[in-house]
Amino acid sequence: MTLLDVRDLQVAYHNPSSGGLTLAVDGVSFKVDRGETLGIVGESGCGKTTLARALMAYCRPGGVIVGGEVVFDGQNILELKDEQIRELRGSRMAMVPQDPLTSLTYHMKVGPQIDEILRIHQKLGAQAARLATLKLFDGTNLPAPEKIYGRYPHENSGGQRQRVVIAGALACEPDLLILDEPTTALDTTTEMQVLKLVKELRDRLGTALVYITHDLTLTDYICENVLVMRDGKVVERGTASQIFSAPQTDYGKMLVSAIPRVDADIAEPTPAAEKKTEEALLKVEHLSYRYSQRWSIEALFNPQEEQLAVDDVSFELQRGETIGLVGESGSGKSTVANIVVGLMAPTMGTVSFDGAPINMIDKFRSEDLRRRIQIVFQDPLSSLNPRCRIESILTRPLKIFFGMSGPAARDRAVELLEDMELSADLLKRFPRQLSGGQQQRVAIARAFTAKPDLILCDEVTSALDVSVQAHVLKLLKGIQVKTGAACLFISHDLGVVKQVANETVVLQKGQVVEAGITRTVFDHPKHTYTQLLLAAALRREDYADLTLSAPEGSSA
Amino acid sequence: MFKAMIRRTLLSVLILFLVAVFVFLATEVLPGDALDVYLSEDDVSVMTLEDIEEMRHDLGLDVPAPIRFYTWLSGAVVGDFGFTIVDKIPIGDIIFHPLLNSLQLGAIITLITMPIAFVIGATAGYWRGHRTDAVVSTATIIGYSIPDFVIGTVLIIIFAVWIPLFPAVIIAYNDAHPLELLAVSLLPAITVIIGHVAHLSRLLRAGFIETMNSDFVERARLSGVPERRIVLRHVLPASVIPTLNAMALYVAGVLSGLIVVEKVFGYPGLGIELIEAVDTREVHVVQAIAFLGAVLVVFMNLLADFAIIALDPRVRSHVSER
Amino acid sequence: MLVNDKTLTSILTHSPGTTVGVALVSLHLLSAIFAPLLIPYGPTQLVGVPLLAPGHPDFLLGTDVIGRDFLSRLLMGGRTSITVAMVGVMGAVLIGTFFAVSAAYIGGHYDDVIMRIVDTKLSIPGILFVALFVVGFGRSVTVLTIVVGLSYFPGAVRTIRAQAMTQVPLAYVKAARLRGESTLSVIFRELTPNVIEVVVVEFAIRTSSAILIVSALSFLGLGISPPTPDWGLMVSEGVNQIYEAPWLILLPAVFISTLVVGLNFASDGLANALGLDAARGMHGG
Repeated sequence: MTLLDVRDLQVAYHNPSSGGLTLAVDGVSFKVDRGETLGIVGESGCGKTTLARALMAYCRPGGVIVGGEVVFDGQNILELKDEQIRELRGSRMAMVPQDPLTSLTYHMKVGPQIDEILRIHQKLGAQAARLATLKLFDGTNLPAPEKIYGRYPHENSGGQRQRVVIAGALACEPDLLILDEPTTALDTTTEMQVLKLVKELRDRLGTALVYITHDLTLTDYICENVLVMRDGKVVERGTASQIFSAPQTDYGKMLVSAIPRVDADIAEPTPAAEKKTEEALLKVEHLSYRYSQRWSIEALFNPQEEQLAVDDVSFELQRGETIGLVGESGSGKSTVANIVVGLMAPTMGTVSFDGAPINMIDKFRSEDLRRRIQIVFQDPLSSLNPRCRIESILTRPLKIFFGMSGPAARDRAVELLEDMELSADLLKRFPRQLSGGQQQRVAIARAFTAKPDLILCDEVTSALDVSVQAHVLKLLKGIQVKTGAACLFISHDLGVVKQVANETVVLQKGQVVEAGITRTVFDHPKHTYTQLLLAAALRREDYADLTLSAPEGSSA
Repeated sequence: MFKAMIRRTLLSVLILFLVAVFVFLATEVLPGDALDVYLSEDDVSVMTLEDIEEMRHDLGLDVPAPIRFYTWLSGAVVGDFGFTIVDKIPIGDIIFHPLLNSLQLGAIITLITMPIAFVIGATAGYWRGHRTDAVVSTATIIGYSIPDFVIGTVLIIIFAVWIPLFPAVIIAYNDAHPLELLAVSLLPAITVIIGHVAHLSRLLRAGFIETMNSDFVERARLSGVPERRIVLRHVLPASVIPTLNAMALYVAGVLSGLIVVEKVFGYPGLGIELIEAVDTREVHVVQAIAFLGAVLVVFMNLLADFAIIALDPRVRSHVSER
Repeated sequence: MLVNDKTLTSILTHSPGTTVGVALVSLHLLSAIFAPLLIPYGPTQLVGVPLLAPGHPDFLLGTDVIGRDFLSRLLMGGRTSITVAMVGVMGAVLIGTFFAVSAAYIGGHYDDVIMRIVDTKLSIPGILFVALFVVGFGRSVTVLTIVVGLSYFPGAVRTIRAQAMTQVPLAYVKAARLRGESTLSVIFRELTPNVIEVVVVEFAIRTSSAILIVSALSFLGLGISPPTPDWGLMVSEGVNQIYEAPWLILLPAVFISTLVVGLNFASDGLANALGLDAARGMHGG
């Protein structure tokens, strides 16, 4: 039986510069049956978030629903009065937003924010609402509901916050639950727990779900039917397995093939072992780092934090090789990169480069050393000075490291752009005028202007869409092979690491829990944490149970 | 939480010390000592060097600056700002009543300004982009663009000259009864309130708009929470918190405004005292008034900090747990 | 290169308010610049019978209490305060930009010291701050300009530093540092161009505020001294003739008010056009 029938829906935003309207959702139609789960997949900017809100007859400031119908339970809700829509929202249709931290009111305790929904829709009294909220918390597997109830949003962990929000969305047992990228802000292992919870709750309550995500593998796990969106339009639809195994359109094929899969076979065999005889290019020995506070009035009142960000980490990187450094947020992987590149000095341990210790920060390093180690950062836009043209972004390091300027430097810049499959026309542009993928390719080109021996890649693909990721990785690998540089590749994404790394080091809370040849680590993980990460990446539920016993941080 | 409060308090004391250093530097060290400032060129031409040195000795100015500063500061912290140069009257006696009178007027102004600015700011912010907002925005820009002294003088022309409802000039002594002053406070208060309501409501409007755009408002809306409750329970506290410090600095603005209206209307407060002291180059009086003004501003800032610590749970745990 | 991708014209015509503001400011600036050519009499010369009403054939706007031509004084009356305000604020904002950006980038004790100095100044109410200097150093245009500069320096540092703080953690600054750019090069080449919008708006807003302060000071007798024609001074001089010649107050009041209203409308439009207000546009997704 059809619960939701969307007909030719169009949503537009006011365009402040032209004064006109720009369509973000352009004639979308679909149906959702009671109890069905529909996945809506698309890359950033495809209009899926706007669509999700329009399903509840809501637009963000500047947006307006310009056409079509949203028929919910036989009634076009776009024709309802404000008050009638308000009564539907939260009771019969509910939403779980992307970021639970900003979506909860920071100055209110979390419990009362759920009470509020119950009191409004079910007219419960204060005491009854509180009891109902506690029951909901219990139903979403929140440990110690009483304690959570009295906490402020920021005092809970990401996973706990998202459970609170889900509890709120399910408070009135809605017929339709819209989930807008509910796990994007969470770590992989937490993500799996939340997904499993959503699945259980759906099966128990029989709620219809509309699941919005950029991650096709998620829909495979949780959805029956899937829509693929692009530029505000539905370009592909079918069952999840259909789309995965036999995508119909070119875009769908590209999307499916671009997914970095953990279970994919590695193309080339790993030639690591025999090279070990040579001296390693980068040697990290017993590296530890503790965030210390500088002297200030604050420090007088606040005892030192004892937790080490990096705790006794050792590994070696051979010339021309790639090591993948894997871990969730807070595992210390970026700290390692910052120490190697010289943004921070280690608290204990040694980092050696080409046989010489390089524990000092950048200003005490020689120009040649700075040139030989280059880094590419996570967010491509912020790593390029918004006020500089691409030409000056690429020629500046050439001038500093090699004294090149004028046409020579310009030619070299063009050459590097060509390596990155970018045209020379980009030289005259500003970073903001480029797409995310182009920006990241420029950032990689800039790192290679220095002819480095070691390149650090700090989550270089995580800000990019899947389809762009694959291309950037291919180019990165190409230029790395061409120049013979070694690479320390830092990522939370196991699939990506598997594609690029000869060896993999797994970090958890600053410590190395597993290290070895990539294939061995992926095929025969020894440590529980590695197994857990892999299981989560593969969306395997049997391993998700493991995570419930793993400690979940109590505060963010 | 208490650690955070103690921390802010210590910081305030440090700032006040720096203010004292600055006040002293600007008046008694950089331009020479108090006597150098006091004596005009005419005075110097008719006095002998011995006369001047004797006067300097009488005033206790013939010791090094750090010692003079210490003497001055140790007096200032207990409210003893020394004596006037000309009549040797204790400065505390001169400024005591004007201080109370100014505080009374300032308190009236603040108490009226805050709620009005609040309502206007929230209304304009809520109806952002609508006609209400456009009208309010235009009115507020005009409101804070017109100088206090112009508003005051024009009010006098309208309500004392053209329609003689009020006296053009307030005639009251320094030690007039508070109620007597209250009766003549209407026009001066309105003068300062116009500009400050305009300023504060713009500030609150910006805070309100920013909060209205936040994710938690969207979640509340999509949970079916009525608009009224969203505004009152979710948005207002969140939009006030970031403006609290600016509101404390607003007190500094009220003080500047007070000085002007006191002069315009002849209200017996610190402003009149200050201008007279500058004219007669009574350095110690100016020092005292400037220092007291800073004490008030620092104190209000401290209150704002405390309010933020009390209202914003993130700040609370940030400063005490880290 | 001015700012953003916006053209100057698109900023100037951003909204009706902005256009009115820009027109008012241009009119005032033009009349201030060309006043010496326009005025019929010297602004300090005694040329007529005192207190002539406006509309007199020889003296278009009448004469003041000692018989100076009022039109000439009005036209000349903005020059000093506008100059003092602009020069003072320009100095404050330019020097402030350097301190703000360097404090944000270098951080540590350097930042602490600068911010404590800023807090100290912000604790002393504006007019009291000026009074301290006037009593200490006497009353002159030079002292006034320096005091205006000192008055606006801390506020400018605070706002610009806040903007610079959003840029410092960004990767392009790290990249510059890692390729060995000197501290000064990072400050001037990387950071300063990225706070330029805030600097421009800061200059516009502070200038209008400074004109308010300078005229208030002149009104109080702490600023520009007679016989220099100045609107604030003219209002205070007119108070004694409030019954018989209210235009002596109202005309300079209109001049000063229109100038500041214009400046504030223009800077508000400028800030909006540069996207510095809370206005948020499209959300993707």
